[in-house]
Amino acid sequence: MDEDWEEGSHRLTSPGEPLTSSQAFMRGHGTYIDNEEVISSVAGTVERVNKLISVRAVRSRYNPEVGDLVVGRITEVQPRRWKVDANSRQDAVLMLSSVNLPGGVQRRKLESDELQMRTFFEEGDLLVAEVQAFFADGAMSLHTRSLRYGKLRNGQLVTISPALIRRLKSHFLSLPCGVDLILGLNGYIWVSKHVKQTEQEGEEAFDAEAVYSNKNDDIDDATRLAVSRVSNIIRILAAHFIPLTDTLLLDAYEWAVEQEGDVKELLQADTGDAMIATIAARD
Amino acid sequence: MATASISKAERTYIQSSLQANPPLRADGRSLLDYRTVFLETGVAPLANGSARLNMGKSPQEGGGGTEILAATKLEVEDVETGGGVDGGRLVCTVTCSPSAYPQLSSNALDELQYDLTTVLHQTLAHPALHPCNLGILPRKKAWLLSVDLVVLADAGNALDALFMAARAALWDTKVPRTRPIQYQGRRGGGANEDAMEAEGDPAAGARSAFDTRDMKRDAADFELPDYWDEGEVLDGRDRWPVCVTLNLLPPTHFLDATSSEEGSAPVKLLLTFSFPSNQPTSLQAMRMIGSGELLLAQMKSLLADGEKYARDLFQALEAKLRDEDVRRNVKARGKFAMR
Repeated sequence: MDEDWEEGSHRLTSPGEPLTSSQAFMRGHGTYIDNEEVISSVAGTVERVNKLISVRAVRSRYNPEVGDLVVGRITEVQPRRWKVDANSRQDAVLMLSSVNLPGGVQRRKLESDELQMRTFFEEGDLLVAEVQAFFADGAMSLHTRSLRYGKLRNGQLVTISPALIRRLKSHFLSLPCGVDLILGLNGYIWVSKHVKQTEQEGEEAFDAEAVYSNKNDDIDDATRLAVSRVSNIIRILAAHFIPLTDTLLLDAYEWAVEQEGDVKELLQADTGDAMIATIAARD
Repeated sequence: MATASISKAERTYIQSSLQANPPLRADGRSLLDYRTVFLETGVAPLANGSARLNMGKSPQEGGGGTEILAATKLEVEDVETGGGVDGGRLVCTVTCSPSAYPQLSSNALDELQYDLTTVLHQTLAHPALHPCNLGILPRKKAWLLSVDLVVLADAGNALDALFMAARAALWDTKVPRTRPIQYQGRRGGGANEDAMEAEGDPAAGARSAFDTRDMKRDAADFELPDYWDEGEVLDGRDRWPVCVTLNLLPPTHFLDATSSEEGSAPVKLLLTFSFPSNQPTSLQAMRMIGSGELLLAQMKSLLADGEKYARDLFQALEAKLRDEDVRRNVKARGKFAMR
């Protein structure tokens, strides 16, 4: 029974499955003891640390790690900090000291900045950020101190299960159909119009106007259509529980365009199944 | 209304997409398309009628969509001493699960529940829709029909879903058959030697069979005859209304908004129509939610449009409910006979 838990091996288990004897092992998260057996209480992967057996659930909220890229939504403005919903167990915190402010990266934070925090981010705003550290209570602290991070515009949000987003080399994808994707590891995906690298990062100087703007650029109908199509493809892949990769998305997009169907047809079950069957065959 | 928070950039993106030509929505639907609706009746065995409705769930995975559970329960009420009303009454209650609105505080949730309850109750308990078989004994006993709805998840357009679920549950409701009973003092006998007789049995009465003067007044209680089914269907099941919410974003309007679309449309017009068979269509309720104004001319055209959408919705729902009836009665019986 307890032969296959070498460190680093992944074994799937389902609720109610006996894992091992409670004499030899201790129960961790996601398990309980019944009849001197450690039994899994969730579906997930078995993990063992020395004599501690725990099960990490497949379907859970986002478990943050330092360095992860996340997409979040401001829920509250507090003194010197924002609260951010990032699909985690607790709201994340974005300190005023961990955002880029207008007028240079190295500028000191002034009292006037505290008073006009809503001009940077206000309730409901979406942003992309990186997990910087954890607080003592397990809440994550975010930062946006890079020109790639900050407020999100020109697109729409798609929410999927965080388990379906793998750690990739880059989470900023740019599809040839004129659509940019930001894959937040917390399952929030931002699908937007493509912005050129130079425009995005500005000309050397940091353009605060543009970074904290709430105005969308002009977006043509073809781009809007592409954004909707990509969003629907992501939803279908998520519904079939297929982890996202850029090649998969591209295959699926090509397939969807070849079908020449309406965007909404993608959401019908048989079209979705056909798409999954086709792209699964290509791999 | 409770809307999930949405950023300004998202709002303008959604608005400009809706106003583009041709209009485009986040999931590619056209302006008048509803999301897929899943409906099942008879989900609560202890209720007199029940339904579970999901709007916008993805078929492969369990999650997502606006989810409503509706159930009706009949209770006997005393008209003279209790709170009952002669001929029965209907009380509608909406409860919102906190997990459907994690962003709301408990006070805000109470307010939302109260708002939804008011809309549903005022529309469904209207005298024009009152079913005529809710009375048991005139001036003595009547049924109290409670319609309880729970919002388990809200992914937008909860009101249309609530009305649809309420209609399905009421359609499914069976009223137990009752038979009035009277207690009659035997002529010449002591007052404590009462005999219990069924009203419809004239030979057993000590009085003349034609002396029916006191019959009605004497009917003091009722019994529930045992039948093979749970009772007769609630009267007027074709009258229960459907609701369409027109989300107004001048110059257009759209149906079945998702939560983010709800956040981007400033004004909503709620229209509730009833389509009784062999009677003209009637507008049962009308409500404007949000800040903004409408001209009378606009209102008229919206009413005409709304009736058309409501009729389509009504027909689809009617077909599904008849389907469910067949599934639960004819097919289930066939399966039982095969065993």
